[in-house]
Amino acid sequence: MDILNQLMQGFATAGTPINLLWAFVGCALGTAVGVLPGIGPATAVAMLLPITSQVNATASMIFFAGIYYGAMYGGSTTSILLNTPGETASMVTAMEGNKMAKSGRAGAALATAAIGSFVAGTIATIMVTLFAPVVAEYAVRLGPPEYFCLMLLALTTVSAVLGQSTVRGLASLFVGLAIGLIGMDQITGQARYTGGVPELLDGVEIVLVAVGLFAVAEALHAVLFEGATSESQNKLSRVSMTASDWRRSIPAWLRGTAIGAPFGCIPAGGTEIPTFLSYAVEKKLAKGEHQAEFGKQGAIEGVAGPEAANNATVTTALIPLLTLGIPVSNTTAILLGAFQNYGIQPGPQLFTNSPTLVWALIASLYIGNVMLLVLNLPLVGLWVKLLKVPKPQLYSGILIFATVGAYGMRQSAFDLVLLYAIGVLGLVMRRFDFPTAPVVVGMILGPLAEAQLRNALSIGEGKWTVFLERPMSLALLGVVLAVLALPRLLRKRV
Amino acid sequence: MGALSDKQRQSAVALGVLALAVGLGWGAIDISSEAGYAGIGPNFLPWLVAVGLAVVAAILLFEAHSGGFRNMPDPLAHDAPPVSAPCWSGFVWMSGALLLNAALITRIGFILSCALCFACAAHGLRQAQSGRRQGLRSGLVDGVLGLLIAAPVFWMFTKFLAISLPGLTQSGWL
Repeated sequence: MDILNQLMQGFATAGTPINLLWAFVGCALGTAVGVLPGIGPATAVAMLLPITSQVNATASMIFFAGIYYGAMYGGSTTSILLNTPGETASMVTAMEGNKMAKSGRAGAALATAAIGSFVAGTIATIMVTLFAPVVAEYAVRLGPPEYFCLMLLALTTVSAVLGQSTVRGLASLFVGLAIGLIGMDQITGQARYTGGVPELLDGVEIVLVAVGLFAVAEALHAVLFEGATSESQNKLSRVSMTASDWRRSIPAWLRGTAIGAPFGCIPAGGTEIPTFLSYAVEKKLAKGEHQAEFGKQGAIEGVAGPEAANNATVTTALIPLLTLGIPVSNTTAILLGAFQNYGIQPGPQLFTNSPTLVWALIASLYIGNVMLLVLNLPLVGLWVKLLKVPKPQLYSGILIFATVGAYGMRQSAFDLVLLYAIGVLGLVMRRFDFPTAPVVVGMILGPLAEAQLRNALSIGEGKWTVFLERPMSLALLGVVLAVLALPRLLRKRV
Repeated sequence: MGALSDKQRQSAVALGVLALAVGLGWGAIDISSEAGYAGIGPNFLPWLVAVGLAVVAAILLFEAHSGGFRNMPDPLAHDAPPVSAPCWSGFVWMSGALLLNAALITRIGFILSCALCFACAAHGLRQAQSGRRQGLRSGLVDGVLGLLIAAPVFWMFTKFLAISLPGLTQSGWL
């Protein structure tokens, strides 16, 4: 059992007091940013990217993974207790969770969300443990044409398939690619769009783009458009589940995990599809009075399933990130940026070149899941208090942290002006419903995809047919076409 | 901006995208096309992105002039995020907060600059919430609160994480 051995070594690395502390702080911070409106895991990790210059790679990846993970737990608390749906990932949880909370069952909803997240997270982590090394071994054999097609698939789904409008998604993607162009060309080393500014040779910092688009734009949107809105909070009841709640939740968790996990594995991310799918399945499978609860008093299956699906997707999304170096969401894109700050390029070689780091990271997921269960079940009352922070102070406080992230990266006051400019861009994008994920993913993945494309064409001696001659890349191109065409065909039929 | 129609605003956005496309294309002229074995050089992706943006801009412009952007979220839907009338004075306060911070951070140090940024931004947000002008007293409270947040943040990041942030003095504490 080679995998077991390596996992044990991972536990040994992740289990040192200092690394446990990083994991704990990450989980706690992640839960906090998940609970707080206006700031999510992507923003939090981006703001803290400057620590990559000081903290060693293993510790900071454990820390970031804790934030990534904790935010999923915290997000469900907010969507159950507040009447304003947060991000898309917790929107489905909000549908039934809110109804349950209104009829006095907030505690049961929170409990099934937390335990469901734990169950799904742990099962998905086992899948990462078992499958990631296998995928990595296989991925070594992929050449540039296949990589380019995989990246094309990731870029296509994030911009053209998810979201409301393909045109606006593509606009965002091209803006992201344009930002990614700034700096030195990876293959020839030629400077592009730097305008002679030496700082721009390394490209635009991802911190600036992510923090500007998410945190600053969010604050500007709040001050401009959300002034007079009021939100009501549901009452918290005792966090426990009855025997019947358990009976109804357990199958829903498992079904949710089964639906969510495969979606994370393919580089065609987003948690929207699996969570909605899980919700639909639970609604369909429920019988009699349980089905009648959907949309009325709130059915516990409708919280348990999607919440498990969400966590399973988020966890298995680490497989394409670690083994292929392909991010499929904002947060994984920023995690990839964190790896790059250490000069580490995630990909098939990661498992052979940095085994300590990878296995410590995977072990920390197991540890983090347990920590989060403890942090969330008995202490939920504490986190709920965070919702009492008044909005003006909350958003202003976020701006202070945004300053730390943007300034701390390069010690340049000009970056703060850029941060504001990107914030205004994000505000316009939000106002006109342009998705932001394609910008971040495009900016990170663009240069990598370009390098693979040019290497692929070099292999094919300049002929584009190289993509059609290799069976694997041909198949992947077929998948790209399918994800572009299928939703349209389905929509026409409905 | 209240006088502008949706059509004008959306057209402005589309023209902004078009301007970006033109800018990228203009910059791409100077990038070498030295291709090596690949047949495409460093200028391939810039041109692709520029042309892509131009096409998207054209479609957006067409949409804006034929009934507006497609599939926009319905502001009247019951689960739509609430949107109130824009509060431009609050926006100005927050913009000022951020730009002032950029101008002052290396001069008066992280703590004071961020506290000021906090106070101005909170002022704008409270104005947006209540729709009234805010008094001096709440501004002072925010300033103190800003100090109480910025100072520990500064110490935490500079002392524990060794990230360099600008101070007013060389002591490392202010």
